[in-house]
Amino acid sequence: MSHVHVAGVGMHPFGRHPDLSLKDLARTAALRAVADAGVAMSDIDAVYSANAMAGALQGQEQIRGQAVLRDIGLEGIPVVNVENACASGSTALREAVIAVRAGASDVVLALGFEKMFVDDLNVTLDALESAADLDVVGGLGLQFTAIYAMRLRKWIDAGLLTPHHLALASVKSHDNGARNPYAQHQKRFSADEIMASRPIADPLTLLMCSSICDGAAAVIVMSDRAAARLGSSHPGVVIRASQLRSGYSSTPGDPSTPTLCARAAYEEAGLAPSDIDVAEVHDAMAPGELLYYEQLGFCEADEVAHMIESGATRISGSMPVNTSGGLSSRGHPIGATGLAQIAELTWQLRGQAEARQVQTPRIALAQNSGGWLQGEPAACNVHILERTTPW
Amino acid sequence: MVNPAAQIPPTATRPSVDRASGALVGSSCRSCGITSWPARAVCQRCGAETEMGYRLPREGSLMSFTTVWVSRPGLEAPYSLGQVIVDGSTFFGHVRGLPEGAKVPLPVDIQVGSDDADVLFWFEPSHQT
Repeated sequence: MSHVHVAGVGMHPFGRHPDLSLKDLARTAALRAVADAGVAMSDIDAVYSANAMAGALQGQEQIRGQAVLRDIGLEGIPVVNVENACASGSTALREAVIAVRAGASDVVLALGFEKMFVDDLNVTLDALESAADLDVVGGLGLQFTAIYAMRLRKWIDAGLLTPHHLALASVKSHDNGARNPYAQHQKRFSADEIMASRPIADPLTLLMCSSICDGAAAVIVMSDRAAARLGSSHPGVVIRASQLRSGYSSTPGDPSTPTLCARAAYEEAGLAPSDIDVAEVHDAMAPGELLYYEQLGFCEADEVAHMIESGATRISGSMPVNTSGGLSSRGHPIGATGLAQIAELTWQLRGQAEARQVQTPRIALAQNSGGWLQGEPAACNVHILERTTPW
Repeated sequence: MVNPAAQIPPTATRPSVDRASGALVGSSCRSCGITSWPARAVCQRCGAETEMGYRLPREGSLMSFTTVWVSRPGLEAPYSLGQVIVDGSTFFGHVRGLPEGAKVPLPVDIQVGSDDADVLFWFEPSHQT
């Protein structure tokens, strides 16, 4: 079975882009990934296209991939449209990995794009709320912010975290975002400013939460055969694990879906959580990353508070998390997020992350969740990447 | 095994509440007994056929809650949402009458609204305590 090489990555800056269409966002990310990989358009032999909401927001309910690819002349080859809510991008990547491993394709583009700023904010909020089974929670006003707020309150009431820890995670998120030219929010805030911003869903405040966002991200993966034929000017990066789990009807005490997905990824890679040098996790609300420290096995539940207090997860720390600024500061254009995580980690592993560069990372982990089901994410992907070229 | 020829009622005909008794109505597995709301045709745990019309207990345990400060059409902020365990399963719903400084876990009662209520059901701190 072929290795899967990360040959190229590219992003369109995340933010508010009223004058740009989905095609514009997707084109920029795709062409940058193609240039980064040093391949020709004609080398690409399949596309997995990720988008979650263009049906509701732009009316492009069907063939979204083929529609945006028209602008960059990609035709004829297999195009598969992927939707898994906020985990759409990583799900597209997983399909690309499977296609390469199966020998069905050699050079595959995984492309994620989303345009959430539309004339009526309520249309976007309705589309977001449909990331759940509407027969179960429709009409409740169960916004993503509320889901994260309830998860975090449990930890606060159990004495594992305080509101100050939530603010510290958000300070770090903004600090990293301020170093990322692709980030939607590039401004630093103090813990006091974050705590004093307006309440969104108690205990979360405005500056702890991701906002709606436009953007695109792209990743090109290759087989051994294509990598040998096409070569690369970058240090080598391969995908060591690619796992997807769907949510399930858990009962109190059951492992979370990210926990189960991460365990499967560690097993696939033959690695342990202690092997991870840098991680991008799904912090739709910045303090949400604190819960993933435990769920992904970076520490025990009673060590999470110390991990954020000690600075271990800062760029300069021993276990940097969300160097990009994460979903909260880099931005969270639903369909693009999972691939933006891979772009950040690829830059980190190659040594191209500039002001955000972690010192000589070799193993990186991305965790991307989407939607919810009975209190669990509806979909969760964990990818593990390895730098194969010695530092 | 689920018999594909079994007469499984279409989802739209399955009751989700019994307003007379004030109970939520879901399904229970004929084999392992695990329950579900809204009703499912096939058990999520063992894959066996379910029995429709199961009336859930009217009490649960509030595991977490939040006050939401962003209004939605028809939902004026602030409103409170809670995560509640009923019969071992996770529910999300509105919470009303939560005292200041409430701590979880907290026993709650399920209240089923009238036909014209804006939500199907909500949770309130249990009147037993």
